[in-house]
Amino acid sequence: MRHNEMVYVTPLPVRIWHWLNAFGIVTLCITGLQIRFPDYITVFGAYKAAIRLHNTAGTVVSVSYTLWIFYYLFVARSLIKLYVPTLDDLKTGIFRQAYFYFLTYFLGKPNPHHTTPDSKFNPMQKAAYLVIMLVLLPLVIVSGILLMYVAPLRELFMLLGGIKILVGSHFLLACCFTAFLFVHIYLATLGHTPLAHFKPMWNGWEEEEVIDDEGTETTVASASDTKPAGKDVI
Amino acid sequence: MCMFKKIFWLLTLLTLHLTITLIQAASIPDTGCMGCHGQPEIARNARNKSSFIDPAKYSGTTHSIIGCTVCHDRVSPGHPGDGYLSPKAVCGDCHGPVNDEYVKSVHGTKARCNDCHNPHEVRLPFFMSGDEINGKCAKCHDSRKTIQSHAKWLPQADLHIDSLLCISCHTSSREYAITLSIESRAPGSGTAFKLATFPELTALSTDGNISKIIDQNGDNMVSLAELRAFNHHLRSRNMRLWGMMTPEVVTHNYQIMVNRWDCSFCHASGSKAMQKSFIVLPGKNGDFSRIPVEKGAIFDILYGTPDFYMMGSTRSTALNIIGALIVATGLSFPVCHGFFRFLTRKNRKEEHHEA
Repeated sequence: MRHNEMVYVTPLPVRIWHWLNAFGIVTLCITGLQIRFPDYITVFGAYKAAIRLHNTAGTVVSVSYTLWIFYYLFVARSLIKLYVPTLDDLKTGIFRQAYFYFLTYFLGKPNPHHTTPDSKFNPMQKAAYLVIMLVLLPLVIVSGILLMYVAPLRELFMLLGGIKILVGSHFLLACCFTAFLFVHIYLATLGHTPLAHFKPMWNGWEEEEVIDDEGTETTVASASDTKPAGKDVI
Repeated sequence: MCMFKKIFWLLTLLTLHLTITLIQAASIPDTGCMGCHGQPEIARNARNKSSFIDPAKYSGTTHSIIGCTVCHDRVSPGHPGDGYLSPKAVCGDCHGPVNDEYVKSVHGTKARCNDCHNPHEVRLPFFMSGDEINGKCAKCHDSRKTIQSHAKWLPQADLHIDSLLCISCHTSSREYAITLSIESRAPGSGTAFKLATFPELTALSTDGNISKIIDQNGDNMVSLAELRAFNHHLRSRNMRLWGMMTPEVVTHNYQIMVNRWDCSFCHASGSKAMQKSFIVLPGKNGDFSRIPVEKGAIFDILYGTPDFYMMGSTRSTALNIIGALIVATGLSFPVCHGFFRFLTRKNRKEEHHEA
């Protein structure tokens, strides 16, 4: 039998960071588009306004990223547990999750991953977020900061191969983030209801579908992190 | 009638006299003047003021073609011992339209022509480096203060002032191109790059023709392949190509151009405006020459001009295509998955009912 339980998966600091980051990255993508194609895109009016907004949003995202990594490393101490895929995730988990997204989801089978505060992300999410948060975001932040100070950092630019390599990398990384946004927002609608994954990013609680196996309830979290959602029991 | 004839003959004789005087003046060889004025130890007047004219620099000027006596038409009988200076022509005598334009500008009352242009060294902008042109402004306008005042409104003011001619924004000069100068520094010095000198570049060439170090086939056109090949060796030679946006048509109407406050004057001028570029090479007389570069070199992804990039204008089509493919890949996932999700929506409803 299935029933729903409410699981507290997203603490307040993480939610604040997420929305700050979300608005920041969307702003960066749109202003970046105007900066690269000013002949065609004038969403933010003057070119200088787009640059100033881009730099401000970039600074906000950089500070927010620093706080995020500080929080997960030193306060929650769960960065590795949450974001680094285990050996089992790499051997079978990723393929099991991909099999679900690309086949069994369409057949109506349940998601093989169950969210708990200790295992917020499925193996595919872990791998994707690991790359996004620990590789791509730091790279785009560093390249963006360097591009804000071209003249004083010219020597560093030369060591890196020239300003074009840096600008090109920043642009391609930004394209990766834009692509990620589409996938990320769409995948967030794949919960048992289209908004099921959006709610926890607002109030912290995720409604998790639990299947009782012959009277034995599947444990999704420690008692302190869960509360029954009586009316949601199917 | 007789009176008119007399006036006619008088005017004719006067014109003939003036013409002969001018021809005679022009035909006096400059070597006569430069015999003394071309030697620093001789060219000192009674007030111990040097009137030395660098023959190398003077020979590169347009003025050297018309000769000394066109501007200095006579000398005192006791020259040079009597201490009298020979008369000088006024620049406006020949450069009337430029002079008229200049005197109306904000600079008109602040500086005379020869405060910026030494008539014995002056060259057309095409035969000068960008740094040399900006150096004339920096004689009065302190670079540090200029950066500070521009930084109040201009993002990365230091970068702009390094990469633009002052006259690009402070005159209505037009038809911009990118000029790429070769800069160098001593190996391991870590000091700022400076314009590579003629002897430095001669040392790199095998036959003394410095244009061959970049224009390898000598066709007076630098192809993209030649530019890439040149750039591959630049770092190991402690050199770089420094790009500056320079106007092809220069005016003297110094002012603060209102439309230059709008960044899109340069940054949204579209990729076509930036297709024209030149390599600037130093000559042995302190002058510079230009070799045109194949169109589109500025947009080459990496090695065309690795140290030159102008936001909004320098756009690599190849890079844009790669970027668009990345975004399209991301967008295709929700579209394709969403399509099959819609088609199979009944399966998920049935599963829920079974449960």
